[in-house]
Amino acid sequence: MTKEKRLGTHVRSLLSNLSGHGTQHLNEVETDLMQTSYLLGEAIEKLGASFMAIHEAVSAQQASIDALLAAGQASPELVEQLRERHAEIGQHVNAAVTGLQFQDLTNQLIGRTVRRVAGLREVLGGIGTGSSGISDTNAEEIVSALASINEVLEEQSVKLESALWKAVCQTHMESGDIELF
Amino acid sequence: MAKTILAVDDSGSLRQMVVFSLRAAGYQVTEAVDGQDGLEKARTQVFDLVLTDQNMPRMDGLSLIRSLRTLPTYQKVPILMLTTESSDEMKSKGRAAGANGWLVKPFDPQRLTEVVKKVIG
Repeated sequence: MTKEKRLGTHVRSLLSNLSGHGTQHLNEVETDLMQTSYLLGEAIEKLGASFMAIHEAVSAQQASIDALLAAGQASPELVEQLRERHAEIGQHVNAAVTGLQFQDLTNQLIGRTVRRVAGLREVLGGIGTGSSGISDTNAEEIVSALASINEVLEEQSVKLESALWKAVCQTHMESGDIELF
Repeated sequence: MAKTILAVDDSGSLRQMVVFSLRAAGYQVTEAVDGQDGLEKARTQVFDLVLTDQNMPRMDGLSLIRSLRTLPTYQKVPILMLTTESSDEMKSKGRAAGANGWLVKPFDPQRLTEVVKKVIG
């Protein structure tokens, strides 16, 4: 076999393997991401329901406390203590509501990653398809084919990046800025 | 009579937190699952305030705001964005579309209530 023929065969094989194995791994990444997304969705449903139930119970308890206080049986110290406890609970509730928004943010990040994975799979698929036409007889043709594949890869990568606007830049779950125009 | 708010977001969990926070403050909150749903609901009732996310399927927040501002009944209704987006570029687009304010997620219920009270009482 001539050097060129070997080179062409190896290049074709490399690109085909890159496409095939890469796609296989990306499929697994996508599966794991979707599973993560489902679990997060289920978790937030349960957390949300528990949070509401706890809040209702605490509110009902507060109503009972208010009724007792209205009857005038409690000492001023106890009234003050209960008022402070009520305020503390309010702060914890606010913190919980802020924290429970994690699923919205993480879901958006996962969605963007899934779209990138799908785009990468297309790019790799294109490389695999392009590789099948690589000649094993002519070095110039091999170089030309590789340059063409490279060009398409470049274009697809840029196109993919431009379609993946990063909407979530938050790195902490602290409440965000507010601006009135 | 309680002031009415239309809360538009494709995230069910986020809507749940918005509804919880604003109903606790005495507002009547109606939910919409995306911009298209929000626009349809806005056409059937004039809300005192619209609170909308940006990135949603079918119709995004900016498109919703532009559509609302073409309706005679929504020329003066305050519209606030509640979104993960925080860039100046997006805020400018929001302002140009007709938004009256920009809130970045995640929100604190107390701060949300304060700004809503400031805008519609």
